[in-house]
Amino acid sequence: MDKLRVKIDGRTILAAPGKTILEVAAENGIHIPTLCHLDGLRDVGACRLCIVDLYGQLVTSCTTKVADGMEIGTQTETVRAYRRTILELLFAEGNHVCSFCVSNGGCELQDLACELDMHSVRVPYTYRRERVDATHPRFLIDRDRCVLCGRCVRVCQEVEGAHTWGFAERGATARVITDLAVPWGTAESCTSCGKCVEVCPTGAIARKGASNAEMRKHPDLVAELTERRARG
Amino acid sequence: MGKVKVATVWFSGCAGCHMSFLDIDEVLIDLAGRIEFCNSPITDLKVFPEGGVDVTLVEGAIGNEEQLELARTVRAKSKIVIALGDCAVTGNVPALRNGIPPRELIEEIYGTSRTTNGALPYEVVPRLLERVRPLHEVIPVDYFLHGCPPPAGLIAKAVLALLDGKTPELTGADLKFG
Amino acid sequence: MAGRLDVLVCSGGACMSSHSLEVKEELVRQLEAHHLADEVRIVETGCMGPCQYGPLVLVYPEGVLYKNVAAADVAEIVSEHFLKGRVVERLLFRSETADRIIQERRSIPFFEKQMKIVLANCGAINPESIEEYIGAGGYEALGKAVTTMTPEGVVAEMKASGLRGRGGAGFPTGTKWDFVRREKSPKKVVVCNADEGDPGAFMDRAVLEGDPHTVIEGMAIAAYAVGAQHGYVYVRAEYPLAIKRLRSALEAARKLGFLGDRIFETAFSFDIEIRVGAGAFVCGEETALIASLEGRRGVPRIRPPYPSTSGMWQLPTLLNNVETYANVRHIVARGSAWFASIGTEQSKGTKVFALSGNVRNTGLVEVPMGTTIGELIYDIGGGVPNGKRLKAIQTGGPSGGCIPVPYLNTPISYETLKELGAIVGSGGVIVLDEDTCMVNLARYFVEFTASESCGQCVPCRSGLVRMLDILDRITRGEGAMDDLALLEELANTIKRSSLCGLGQTAPNPVLSTLQYFRDEYEEHIRHKTCPAAVCAALFVAPCEASCPAHVDVPAYVAHLSNGDFAKAFDIHMKTNPLPGICGRVCYAFCETKCQRAQIEEPVAIRDLKRSMADYAMEHKLAGPKPRARNGQRVAVVGSGPAGLSCGYFLAQLGYETVLFEALPIAGGTMATGIPTYRLPRDILKADIDRIVRAGVEIKLLSPVEDLDELLADGYGAVFVATGAMKAQTLALGDPLPRGVVTGVDFLKGIHVDGTSEVGAEVVVIGGGNSAIDSARAARRLGAKHVTIAYRRAKADMPASPEEIAEAIEEGVEILDMTSPTGVVGGGRVEGLRCARMAAGPFDASGRRRPVESDQAEIVLPTSMVIVAVGQEATGELLRGAGIEVAKGGLVPVDPVTMSTSRPGIFAGGDATSGPATVVEAIGAGRRAAIAIDRFLGGNGILEPEERVEVATDYDEDAYTQERARAVPPMAAAGTRIRSFAEVRGRFAKEQAIEEARRCLHCDRKQTEDGVCCGSSAGEAAGATTR
Repeated sequence: MDKLRVKIDGRTILAAPGKTILEVAAENGIHIPTLCHLDGLRDVGACRLCIVDLYGQLVTSCTTKVADGMEIGTQTETVRAYRRTILELLFAEGNHVCSFCVSNGGCELQDLACELDMHSVRVPYTYRRERVDATHPRFLIDRDRCVLCGRCVRVCQEVEGAHTWGFAERGATARVITDLAVPWGTAESCTSCGKCVEVCPTGAIARKGASNAEMRKHPDLVAELTERRARG
Repeated sequence: MGKVKVATVWFSGCAGCHMSFLDIDEVLIDLAGRIEFCNSPITDLKVFPEGGVDVTLVEGAIGNEEQLELARTVRAKSKIVIALGDCAVTGNVPALRNGIPPRELIEEIYGTSRTTNGALPYEVVPRLLERVRPLHEVIPVDYFLHGCPPPAGLIAKAVLALLDGKTPELTGADLKFG
Repeated sequence: MAGRLDVLVCSGGACMSSHSLEVKEELVRQLEAHHLADEVRIVETGCMGPCQYGPLVLVYPEGVLYKNVAAADVAEIVSEHFLKGRVVERLLFRSETADRIIQERRSIPFFEKQMKIVLANCGAINPESIEEYIGAGGYEALGKAVTTMTPEGVVAEMKASGLRGRGGAGFPTGTKWDFVRREKSPKKVVVCNADEGDPGAFMDRAVLEGDPHTVIEGMAIAAYAVGAQHGYVYVRAEYPLAIKRLRSALEAARKLGFLGDRIFETAFSFDIEIRVGAGAFVCGEETALIASLEGRRGVPRIRPPYPSTSGMWQLPTLLNNVETYANVRHIVARGSAWFASIGTEQSKGTKVFALSGNVRNTGLVEVPMGTTIGELIYDIGGGVPNGKRLKAIQTGGPSGGCIPVPYLNTPISYETLKELGAIVGSGGVIVLDEDTCMVNLARYFVEFTASESCGQCVPCRSGLVRMLDILDRITRGEGAMDDLALLEELANTIKRSSLCGLGQTAPNPVLSTLQYFRDEYEEHIRHKTCPAAVCAALFVAPCEASCPAHVDVPAYVAHLSNGDFAKAFDIHMKTNPLPGICGRVCYAFCETKCQRAQIEEPVAIRDLKRSMADYAMEHKLAGPKPRARNGQRVAVVGSGPAGLSCGYFLAQLGYETVLFEALPIAGGTMATGIPTYRLPRDILKADIDRIVRAGVEIKLLSPVEDLDELLADGYGAVFVATGAMKAQTLALGDPLPRGVVTGVDFLKGIHVDGTSEVGAEVVVIGGGNSAIDSARAARRLGAKHVTIAYRRAKADMPASPEEIAEAIEEGVEILDMTSPTGVVGGGRVEGLRCARMAAGPFDASGRRRPVESDQAEIVLPTSMVIVAVGQEATGELLRGAGIEVAKGGLVPVDPVTMSTSRPGIFAGGDATSGPATVVEAIGAGRRAAIAIDRFLGGNGILEPEERVEVATDYDEDAYTQERARAVPPMAAAGTRIRSFAEVRGRFAKEQAIEEARRCLHCDRKQTEDGVCCGSSAGEAAGATTR
């Protein structure tokens, strides 16, 4: 099929039809910040951090397909400012005083703060206090650190097929749950595969006994798995 | 040209940021010639200079009435205020008490302690605020030095830039929490 | 079956909740008893519209509409109306403008400007009878479509009609149908969105309850046009009656073959299922609705793909709103050209609005697009009740915005409202009066959307909570000015970066109130006050908050209720040193906000004040002691209420204060303009003398011409309160014959110069208090006929209704809609030529602008014309001091400190506000005194001690029962016009105490037990202080 011609940040790029702006940008070495996106999972456009400017409209690059002649700005003043505000909102709603990233630097939220030049969170923090669910023999979830990206929900559904993780409630009280909001350890559908641990971008879902410096995550595992499955 | 007046204050925090400040090693020698240390836990000068200072580095979050009051004094008497370290920038560990009513907190900590024989410190010590707040929620802050503690190099970079009359460029990894 | 009478009983949701079914049952019983069952047919209908007046009963063939019918009224209706043919007048509507009863439904103003298409059957037929629907032309359009039109033809008709989606977004309906029709899929779905969830919206509910078949028919036509086989109605569980009626309608339609296989014996087959939603607001968003229909969690997803290509079960899906479908059959039956002839260029047809809030006629109305907002609120809605002023209207619910009064002439259409920052939305219109706090309103909507956010995307989920946080802070008086910038930034971020329509529109109420009412936000932040007296943390009580001088009404009234008049007086003097004057002529803003009105009537605060002031005068009470002299001097120019108040409070603060007055008497307009029958001069003198005794020197006949001279004379500061004494004039002729005077000169002549010349016939021009004063004074001087000519409607007169009523009692005639054009007569005036006016479009004040009517000019024979059309300031003195003076001679000042652009020179009262009230001037004078104290090195604190709630010594609960407001004795009109003696009497002491006990003590705050450590008051105030 014919290649499309798009302009990203002033650069003219030839792109294959059917690809998203995010994919095309990545292929061409243009970095767009993401959080809920993960290669190998369906995109939902929930975190809004990958917004780009498309003719003055802000669209999520993970869900918007390229079209011929598109002119896209990934680093405009507005886009950067909005991304930063959104990130501040994420920090303010959770509780990210966390021993993980201090030790291992393995937190995507922390990386985003650096990338998006977040000097301080200008809105008051909520200081959420949720109970830690450590009922699972191998894993635990600290919902204070959860950013509701839904990667655990999607990986469990789309890759593992267990449908253990899901969302409950709405607005500020929305949270991820296991089965019908039972303690994780008693969630019968859980296969203990650990994929949710690997894809969680923060320290919310962790392996027991390895919650500090030892904790290394492998979110790229999912893309590998899905690719291999496709090959059969 | 006179020396630049620098103060540091220590609110709810562990003093680790001050330690990190002292960790700037040989830069200290350079600084000693260029700055005059005013009110600081390091110098043990307890009164904030009446005539004001050029720069104040603030470690720690705001947790009680005395800190709130002093923070306002700091702002009024400093040309530049720097939030030093995560507690000042985000509230960090001291803010973990937020959500627990201060009264319960005091009763739990002092009421059940053997060393205080259950006496509750209501009178002499400053009253706790309902919530621990990051510095910028209480006064306007000019620069934020992230980290728990901020790396010595980062502190040196910021202070030296200010001494040279420049705006410290804090980007990327400089903004790493934790 | 054909009877003599058809009796329609409204069984819409609102009427049912006011027991219309009991009325119907009683009707059945009564008809049986009178053996009328065969002659009178009872029909239960859907919503008739004016829900405020339910239960409604409509009787045909006459079309008589009864309102507020109770079961107990039925016997009378049956025996009088049905048997004897005499309409029961007490249950009829009354005209709001003319004092008359309206018998027939179609002549009621509420219905006159309406045009019912969508609601044609609502309130006219029994919604549970398919026969009645068919009888009213139902299912003809479906038959026409499937038997005579091609699907393409139907879509073309829809496109040509110009119908746009009534759910809120206004997308062209025909275009949407075309998208779905073009999809190549053997299976397609038609969905009706009945998930109406905006606060204040009940249009869809009324249609489903009142005429379910019209929606079914619309959906069937749509299905035929786009090629769908299945339909779903997604309706919220909170609408059980709608669900019940829709369900029975579906069964009936199936039975008669309008749904099911081979409809009208064609190849077209279609059926509809009901899906009941759990009531999440976000499920009104189409992708969330579809998710919910499919049985999944109701959260929106990214579009594209749009439902038209991939909707329910990934099938092409047509999704329209109830009202959109309800229009369809009419377009098909009567043709697109007919529909397109209604409305505006881009917005065709009618729109149903749910009118609610502070409007006389709440209910359901349908008007052609292009009807102006003012017509909707005033002509149909009947305007704002209880003598309150309109502040704004809110459209589109939580996704919409506010439209302030100056835009009443805006024709309603998708585009025009959007331009104003509001939206047509689904059609909820909330009318807001002056008692609405716009910050609180915005807060309410954000609270709603924050709790209805699905929680999927960050800006909406977390951002709305943060916005709510900031709004909470502001309404508690803890906001900072920086908060407004942050609020706007968050609002814009959420608006532009949220995933779905909920988040994208949720900040609108905040953005639109910030656009039109930013000053109100600033009041909350800077002055820690809530002008509408809504935000409870910011005021002592509504009466205190609404008083321009912030007199602590609950405290002094509580002292009065204890019988302690002296303590009450002391409290009053802390904020207002003119109790005798205010006890007589105050506008009593406090009474308009008095919560007692919710039981019966406001407490008679002004009369109580008068009792207290008279007691103080008779007992020679002095009020609080002033502070010791501090050796500094301040000059005040003008001895009106602003000057007197400023002088008094400066003296209290220890300043040597000198008031300079150009006239031979002190008091300003109070002495020259207010007639003695309202304000006896001994009372005026007593209040002024007390101020002099408190240490203020008044220099009469001492005009000030140069402020710099005063400053050079050793006065540390100057307060200028020279009033607005210059009379405005009208071009009535040149030269003017004798006998034409201004109201200002006329009243001043009586009170200062002692003249008493008056004509036998007097015409007063104007509608304010000074026009009324002139008219009443003229009567007292012996004028036989006094006529007030006013160019607008009587209801628009700015004079207080009380004064107008008293003037009429005294024989003054008011000729409204009459605009003088010139005088007749040479040497002496002989008559006044007036044009008769008609109500034109709305002006910026929300009143109808008078425009010349086609009636002939009239000449009022008269020997004296008093022109009382307003006064203005000159600003001369301040201009001379190098201070910039704005239009109308007004001087711009800081509203809190009353400081002018020149340090040390302060100004207030009518000189800065234009003609206003005594109490406003008193407040300004006091604020200036505080600011002057600060300017001269003081701390500006007048009352060092904290406010104390006054305990009472009687059984308060006993007084919460209904009790009539006490009325003071009044002189009879016949006696009144014979002299200038005071008209209004005063309460006896016991009567005053009893009246004071009607106070509900809104100032009592529930206090928590003292917490010994933890939150402190200083913390909150300190947050983000810049």
